[in-house]
Amino acid sequence: MRGVRRVALGMAFSFFILSLGLVYWQVVQADTLLKNNANRRLILMESRVTRGGIFDRNGEIIAQTKVSKDKKVREYPQGEMFEPLIGYSTVQLGASGLEGNSADWLLGIKDATTTQAVQQLFALPRQGDDVVLTLDSRLQSIAYNALKGKMGAAVAIDPRTGEVLALVSQPSFDPTNLEQDWKDIISRTQDRPLENHAFSLFPPGSIMKVVTSAALFRGGINTTDLYDSTGSAIINGQVINEQNGRAFGWVNYNMALADSCNAYFATFGVQAGDKNFLTAVKGFGFGQKIPFELNVPTSSITKAEKIPENLTTNLLAASAFGQGEVLVSPFHMALITAGIANHGVIMAPHLVERVLDPAQTVVYEQKPQPWLTALTKEEADKITSAMVTAVTDGTAAPGALPNVQVAAKTGSAEPGGNVLTHAWYIAFAPAEAPQIAVAVLVEHGGTGGGAAAPIARQIIQEALSQKVGEK
Amino acid sequence: MIQRLTSRSLILGMMWIGLGLLKWGGVKNQLLWQALVFTAIVLMGSLMEQVFHYQGDPYILPAVQAIMALGLVFVVRISPEIALRQFWWANIGLLLFYAVLWMIRDYRQLGKFRYLWGLLAVGLLLVTLLFGSAAGGAKSWLHLGGIGIEPEEFVKLALLLFMATYLEENEELLRVGTVQWGRFSLPDSRTLGPFIIMVAFVLGILAAQKSLGTALVFYMLFVLMLYVVTERSLYLGISLPIFLLTGTLGYMLFRHVRVRVMVWMNPWQDPTGGGYQIAQSLFAIGGGKILGTGLGNGIGASTVPAASTDFIFSVIAEELGFAGAMAVLVLFLIVVMRAFAVSLRAKDRFGQILAAGIGILLGTETLIILAGVTKLLPLTGIPLPWVSYGGSSLIVHFILLGVLLNISNATAVSYRSTKNKGREYAT
Repeated sequence: MRGVRRVALGMAFSFFILSLGLVYWQVVQADTLLKNNANRRLILMESRVTRGGIFDRNGEIIAQTKVSKDKKVREYPQGEMFEPLIGYSTVQLGASGLEGNSADWLLGIKDATTTQAVQQLFALPRQGDDVVLTLDSRLQSIAYNALKGKMGAAVAIDPRTGEVLALVSQPSFDPTNLEQDWKDIISRTQDRPLENHAFSLFPPGSIMKVVTSAALFRGGINTTDLYDSTGSAIINGQVINEQNGRAFGWVNYNMALADSCNAYFATFGVQAGDKNFLTAVKGFGFGQKIPFELNVPTSSITKAEKIPENLTTNLLAASAFGQGEVLVSPFHMALITAGIANHGVIMAPHLVERVLDPAQTVVYEQKPQPWLTALTKEEADKITSAMVTAVTDGTAAPGALPNVQVAAKTGSAEPGGNVLTHAWYIAFAPAEAPQIAVAVLVEHGGTGGGAAAPIARQIIQEALSQKVGEK
Repeated sequence: MIQRLTSRSLILGMMWIGLGLLKWGGVKNQLLWQALVFTAIVLMGSLMEQVFHYQGDPYILPAVQAIMALGLVFVVRISPEIALRQFWWANIGLLLFYAVLWMIRDYRQLGKFRYLWGLLAVGLLLVTLLFGSAAGGAKSWLHLGGIGIEPEEFVKLALLLFMATYLEENEELLRVGTVQWGRFSLPDSRTLGPFIIMVAFVLGILAAQKSLGTALVFYMLFVLMLYVVTERSLYLGISLPIFLLTGTLGYMLFRHVRVRVMVWMNPWQDPTGGGYQIAQSLFAIGGGKILGTGLGNGIGASTVPAASTDFIFSVIAEELGFAGAMAVLVLFLIVVMRAFAVSLRAKDRFGQILAAGIGILLGTETLIILAGVTKLLPLTGIPLPWVSYGGSSLIVHFILLGVLLNISNATAVSYRSTKNKGREYAT
C-alpha cells in the first residue's frame, strides 16, 4: 500500500505546483500580460466603456469619445499635432502611445471608484477617467508648425518640475480614419510617422560638450585654462578636426563651448580621463531607464546598452564631442538641458498632470520629484555661463531673444555616411531663473544654429510670453 | 439523509444561480428542460442512495457533481447551443453512473475478461486509425450514424480494466522478478511480454493519430499503476529514460512535436501565429486576477480557441479568478485523493488496483491539461474531466466514477458483514 500512498502524495504535490502556476499568472504576471501588445483584453473591454478624454493643461481637448446612437467614436480635434505621442486606440490595430499606456486610467480600471467597480462587476456601461496632461497646446502648436515638413523632434520641459510642456515628432499622422490610412502609413519606412522621433536615438554631436564639461571640471581643468586651437589636433594618432577646419586661436572654457571647439573638449576630455567622463554621463542618465509614462530607449556611450567600465583613448576623444558611438534621444537631451537649468538636478519627467474620475474629482495628481543630481550648483553655473556666451558670442546666437537671456548650445552631428548632419539645439531661458528647457533636432537639417535654433527660439518666446506653468 | 440532500441542494442552487446570470441564447426552453431533468436526476439519485443504503465514500459524488454543475454553467456561458448537447450527455452520464453503481453486483466479474479488454482497447484504436476523421490536428474521431465519438475515451476504460486484471495476475512475478540482469532482477519475457506489447501498441497508435495528450496520459497510467502494484522504484527509474528517449526522438522526427515545444518555450515570439492558443489562454487566466472578472464578463470565452473543450479552465480562471480556479483544483484534488482512499480500503487486490488506477487516470488527466493551459508543460489538448464539452469523455468518466463508488460501496458492505460475522450467534 506504500505505492498508493506515494503516488497520492506525488499527485497532491503536483496540484500544489499547479496552484503556484496560477499564482504566477494571476497575481505576479497579471499586469505584464495586460500590457502585452497581442492582448486584446483592454480593447475588447472598451466596448463596455466610454473611454475617458485626454486634455492639455489648459483643458483643451486632445482626444475624446463621442457617443451617438450606441456607436462610440474617438475624436482627435487637434489632428496630427499631438501624434505619435498620444497614439491611437482601435479594435483592429490595438493601441499605441499614451492611449495605450494610460489605457488603465482611460478605461477606469486603475484605482476604480466604487461606482466604477460595481459597474465593472456587472459589466454595465461605464465611463473611464479623464487624463489631463502637462502639455500646453499653444507651445505644441508652435513647435509643430515650426517643425512641419521636416524630420525631427522638439521637446520642451519645465526644468523646475519635470513637466513636459511640448513634445513634437515629425512626420506624424492623423489619428482620425486611421484604419483606412493604415496601409499608407506603415508603407512609409523612410520617415516612419508611427515612430516617436523624440524617443529615437541619434548621435548628439557638439551638444554632448555640456555633459563632457562636468568631466572636465572634475578632472581639475579650470575654466580659465587656455588652449591653442589650430583647426585640428592629433590625439593618440587620431585626427580631430574642427567644423570647416576653423582655427579659434587661444580659447578658455567659455569660448571653447561657445565656438564649439572639438579639439579643446577632446584634448581635455582625454586629460580628465575615462573614469571622470563615464561618471559624468552616468550622472546625466546615460545607460539608465528614464522614469516616464512612456517607454524611452536608453541612451548609451558605446554600442552596449550599459555604460562600460573603461573607454579607449580614441573612443573617449570622439565621445567627448558627441561622436564615436554615443547615442541619445531628443527627449533625454531636453532632460539634460533641464538639469543644467535646474542647478544640476534633473527632475523626473512626466506627462500626466492629473487624472479625474467621471465626477471630476481628482483621483491622481503628479508631484515633482528629483530623478538625478547630475551636477553641483557651481558646475551648473559654469556650464550655464558658457552656454550664455554661446548665445551672445558664439554658434548659438541664432537662438537669442531680445529682453531675455537665453543659454544654449548647438550641435551638428554626423550620422555617418555622406549625408547632411543632424541639426541639434538645446536651450533654456531665462538663464538666471530658467522656466523652460528645450531640445530640438532636425534630422539631416545641416547646422544646429541654422536649422534647429529658430524653432527653439519660437518655442521659448511663446513660453515666456505667456508665463509658462500658469493657466 | 439531511446532510446528503443539503449538499446536493447547495450544488444545484449554485448551478441555477450561475445559469440565471447568463444569457441562454435561442435555446432557452430546451435548456430549461434539460436543467430541470438534471436537477431531478441528482435529487432522485440522492434519494436512491438512501433507499439502497449506499455506504461508500460520501465525498466523491458531491465533489464530482459540483464539478459537473460548474462545467455545465461554463459551457452555457461559452455557447448555449453546445451546452444543450452537454446537458444531454450529462443526464445520460449520470443515469449510466447510477446504473453501474447499482447494477454491477460484483465488480470482480469485470476482471474475468482478462485480455479481452486489452484486445478491445487495441481494436478501438485501430478502427479509429483506419476509419477515423481528424479534428484539431488529431485523427481521433469516429463517426457512427451522425454521432461523433472519441474512441480513445472508451479505450481508457478498457485499458484500465486490462491493466487491473493483468497486474493482479502477475503481481508477484513483476514485484520479485525472475531474470537477473546485473544488479536488478527483472520479470521474464512471458510475464512482461503482453504488457510491453500492449503499451507499444496503444502508444504507437496514439502517436500515429497525433493524440499526444492521450498518449501521455496512458504512459503515466501504465507507469504509475505498475509502480503502485509492485512498489518498485526500478520501474519508475526505467520509465524516465524511455520517456526522454521517445520524447527526443519524436521531437527530432515530427514537425508538430517540435512546433509545440517551441511554442511552449516562447509563445511570445509569435503570439498571433503558433503561440496564439497558449497566449490567449494566458491572457484570459492573467486577466482574472484574484477574484475574477465575474461570470459572463470575461473575454476568454470569445478569444480563446477551443474554449468549451480543452481551454475551458482558462475561461473559468478568468471569470472566477484565482479563487474560483483554486476551488476547481481543490474539488479535483478531493476526488483524486478519495479515489486513493477507496483503493487503500478495498478488500481485494483487484479492487485496490482498479480504484488506484481510476485515481491515477483522473489525476493525470487533470494535471496534464491544467499544466498545459497554464504553460507549465507543453500544451497537449485533452478534455478536463466532467468540465470540458464532449459526450464520450463525460460518459466514460461517469462510468469510471460508477466503478469507483461500486468498489467503495462493496468494501463498506463487506466490512460491515465481516464485522458482524462473529456476532451472528450473539444476536
